[in-house]
Amino acid sequence: MPIKIDEDNLKSGLLGLVVALVEIIQDVLEREAIRRMESGRLKDEEVDRLGNGLMELRAALEHIKRENHLEKIVGSVRCDLDKLVEETIDIMANPERWEREMEKTEVRQ
Amino acid sequence: MGIEDSHVYTVAFNDISAVVHCCEAKPYKTEDKEKAGEWILTHQYVIDLATKEFGTVIPLTFDTIFKGDDETVQQWLREEHRELKTMLEKLDGKAEYGVQIFVENDFVEKAPEENEEIWKLKKEIENKPKGAAYLLQKKLERKLELERKVLADKHTKNLYNEIKKLVDDVKLDSTKKEVPEKWKGKRMILNLACLAHKDKIQNLGNMLGEVDKREGFAVRFTGPWPPYSFVGEIGRSKGEKVK
Repeated sequence: MPIKIDEDNLKSGLLGLVVALVEIIQDVLEREAIRRMESGRLKDEEVDRLGNGLMELRAALEHIKRENHLEKIVGSVRCDLDKLVEETIDIMANPERWEREMEKTEVRQ
Repeated sequence: MGIEDSHVYTVAFNDISAVVHCCEAKPYKTEDKEKAGEWILTHQYVIDLATKEFGTVIPLTFDTIFKGDDETVQQWLREEHRELKTMLEKLDGKAEYGVQIFVENDFVEKAPEENEEIWKLKKEIENKPKGAAYLLQKKLERKLELERKVLADKHTKNLYNEIKKLVDDVKLDSTKKEVPEKWKGKRMILNLACLAHKDKIQNLGNMLGEVDKREGFAVRFTGPWPPYSFVGEIGRSKGEKVK
């Protein structure tokens, strides 16, 4: 199906996609920050600085989203991406994964 | 009564028949969503009528087109006769039912409250400077999300096993589907297509009714539908479907 481009939607669509991607990067950064905090190699003030930086980034993103009314579109982009990734992995890994897993638990009971 | 008012008739071979209509040997295609919806509904309507008229039918998907004429369809019925008969026997007196089970989004959060690690994290957050507290908060959110997943998974497996015992066949569907308006804000933990005999469906209905009453749970039970999910590759093999 050809992609129809609606001029009004283009700006928010593109910005929505960018914000969604930055959010995903933010999630990855936070995950890494938590890992470093848990490693115990960071001093308390370093942990705090790291947290503050991430918190500001999050606040800035939320601000951009609110200003441009992007909450919905970012949500749906992320939801679509999640679904896509999950389905792809599931298909690649094993489409009958669930069913077999169920069978196994049944046998064990 | 068929698509675009086409004449719907049957092509018989031995003791089975195909319900067909004539069309061009190319897929139905339109940009008009309303029209596409109408086509699908008409397809569904013909299947419903056929079910009323003949009892058990094997529903083929919309847009299953044979290149050729009635003879081609008959040829197919002849070649697939055994498989079609087996399928008809399997589906006899049965219908498809949709089962979707939801839980409250925070429902699983209640149990881990007693989890010592989580309790400790919460205490720690209160006593830390802003930045560090933010990271700990994120850590807590992740932990809770994980606990929710584990718990939901456990429920999913138990419910699946229970349901499986009450029906003739089940097909798992993705739980990543959009949650219908009525259940917005809830998390889908199980999405099934069940094949069940009309006489046995009450059992499933009762069991799901019990689940629906459980705190934090909600059930969507739909049907009877034509058993689309259980006809496998029939009609899709050997390039009968014109793409």
